[in-house]
Amino acid sequence: MTAPEPYPLLREQPHVTVEAAPQMEDVAATLIRLADTLVEDFDLLAALHELTRDCVALLNVTAAGLLLAPPGKQLGVVAASSEQSRLLELAQLQRDQGPCLDCYRTGEPVSVHDLTAHPKQWPLFSDAALSAGYRSVHAIPMRLRSQVIGALNLFSKHPDELSGARLRLGQALADMATISILQAQALRESEDLAGQLQFALTSRVILEQAKGVLAERGQLSMEQAFVALRRYARDHNQRLHEVSLGIVNSTISPALVIGPPRRERPLER
Amino acid sequence: MKAVLAAALRAGARGAPAADRLCLACLPLLGVDAAAISLIDDGESRGTFGASDEIARALDGLQFTTGEGPCMEASHTSMPVLIADLNAPQETRWPAFRDAAARSDVRAVFAVPIQVGRITVGALDLFRRSTGTLSPTQLMDAVLVAEAAAQVLLDVVEGRTDTQLGAGPVEQWEQLIALAHIEVYQATGMLMAQLDVSAATALVRLRAYAFSHELTAHDVAQLIVTRQLDMQP
Repeated sequence: MTAPEPYPLLREQPHVTVEAAPQMEDVAATLIRLADTLVEDFDLLAALHELTRDCVALLNVTAAGLLLAPPGKQLGVVAASSEQSRLLELAQLQRDQGPCLDCYRTGEPVSVHDLTAHPKQWPLFSDAALSAGYRSVHAIPMRLRSQVIGALNLFSKHPDELSGARLRLGQALADMATISILQAQALRESEDLAGQLQFALTSRVILEQAKGVLAERGQLSMEQAFVALRRYARDHNQRLHEVSLGIVNSTISPALVIGPPRRERPLER
Repeated sequence: MKAVLAAALRAGARGAPAADRLCLACLPLLGVDAAAISLIDDGESRGTFGASDEIARALDGLQFTTGEGPCMEASHTSMPVLIADLNAPQETRWPAFRDAAARSDVRAVFAVPIQVGRITVGALDLFRRSTGTLSPTQLMDAVLVAEAAAQVLLDVVEGRTDTQLGAGPVEQWEQLIALAHIEVYQATGMLMAQLDVSAATALVRLRAYAFSHELTAHDVAQLIVTRQLDMQP
C-alpha cells in the first residue's frame, strides 16, 4: 500500500503537475495517522471520519462516505466527511441501488462522470444525488483478500472523471480504511469478520442516536452535535463510541457534552 | 433456515407463545440445550419474554434480578457475547449468573442482541451443557434467529394484536429493513430527549406515529429531524 510515484503519474495526467508534489506530504500524513490503528486506544469512528475528510482534500471531491456490509446483510454507512443528515442519507440510499451497491456486487470501481448523462441507471439514487447538488459520483471497493466488504463513495459538485493516479490513490485510501476497521483494538472481542463489520455499523447507529439526543437537548444541527461529541471525547480521552453509548444509556449527561450555552442564537437551518 | 423460522412464526399465536416456539425451534438448529428471548425496554416491560424450558426462563430472568449477565451485556453493547467455557478462570464478569448456571449444569452461554433497524430491543440467550464455541455457521444462524425474534418482539412492544401492520413474514421483513435509515436513528435520539425514554421505546413511538398517520417510519423521521414534528408532551 504505497502512494503512487509522482513521475509516471505526471506523464499520464500532465494537467495535475502543480498539485502532485505537495499532495505527497498530505498522503504521508494520512498514512501515519492511520498507522495509529495498532495502538491501544484507537478511536475507529473518529479515524474513519478523518479518513473521509482526507479523501475530500486529497482526491479533490466535494464529499465522501464509507459503506460496509457484513456478509449476507445490506450496506450501511459507517463514516462520512460531513455529518449532515442529507449526505448520510444519500450514502445510505445505496442499500437499494446506486454506484456503491454495484461496486460492492462486482468488486470493481464504478465511476459516473455526469449523473445527468445517465439518469436511468439508478433513478432513485440519481434524483437524490442531483437534488443534493452532486453531479458526479464514484465508488471504490473495500477489499479484504478476495472478499469485498464495502465501498468508498465519492461525490463531486461538478462533472468529474476518476481514473489513473487519482483512482489509484482512492483505492489506497479505501485499503487503509479496510485495515483500520479490521485492526481496531475495540473490535478484538469479535474475531470473525461478520462481527467486526457489524460492530462498526452498530457503533455508527449509536453515534447517530447520540447526535439526535444532543441536537434536541441543545437545539443544535447534526453537524454541531457531532462536533460537541468529538470535543467531549477528546477532552475526556474517550472513544466516540464510548461517549455515544454513555449518552444513549444516560450515563453521560447531554448537558456536559453540549457545554455551557453559547452567545449565538440556536441554529434554525 | 429462514423457512424453518417463518414456519415457527406462522404457526398461529403471536406474542409470547410465538417466542416460546422460536426458542424451541432453535435448539436443534443451533445445537444448544436451552434458549430464551428477553425484552430490554425501560420500565415495566423488560424481562424474559420467551423460553424453551423453565431452566432457560430462570437463567434469563436471574439476569434481570441481579442486573448482570451475558444477556444484559449483549443488550447494552449491542454486540454478541460468546462464552465457550463459563468455568474458565478469566470469566469473572458475572459471579451470580455463573453460579446459577453451574447449578443447572450450563457450561457455555451465548447472547445475541435482537435489533430492530439496528436498535437493540432484546437479546437471544443460548445455553449449552458442553463447553466450546459456536461454529461460524451456528453463529450466523443465531443472528438469523435473533432477526426473527425482532418480529415477534415488535408485535408485543407495540401492543399489536391484529395483523394490520404486517400481513406476513415478508412484509415484516421489509418493514424492518425500512427502519434502517440514518434519519430514523437520528430521530430516535431526538425522541429519546423529547420524551425521556429509551431508544427502543422512542423507536416504537416513531413507528406508532407513522402507522396512525399513514406515513412511513422514514417520513416521520424526516419530519422530526427537520424539526417540523415535536412529540414533547
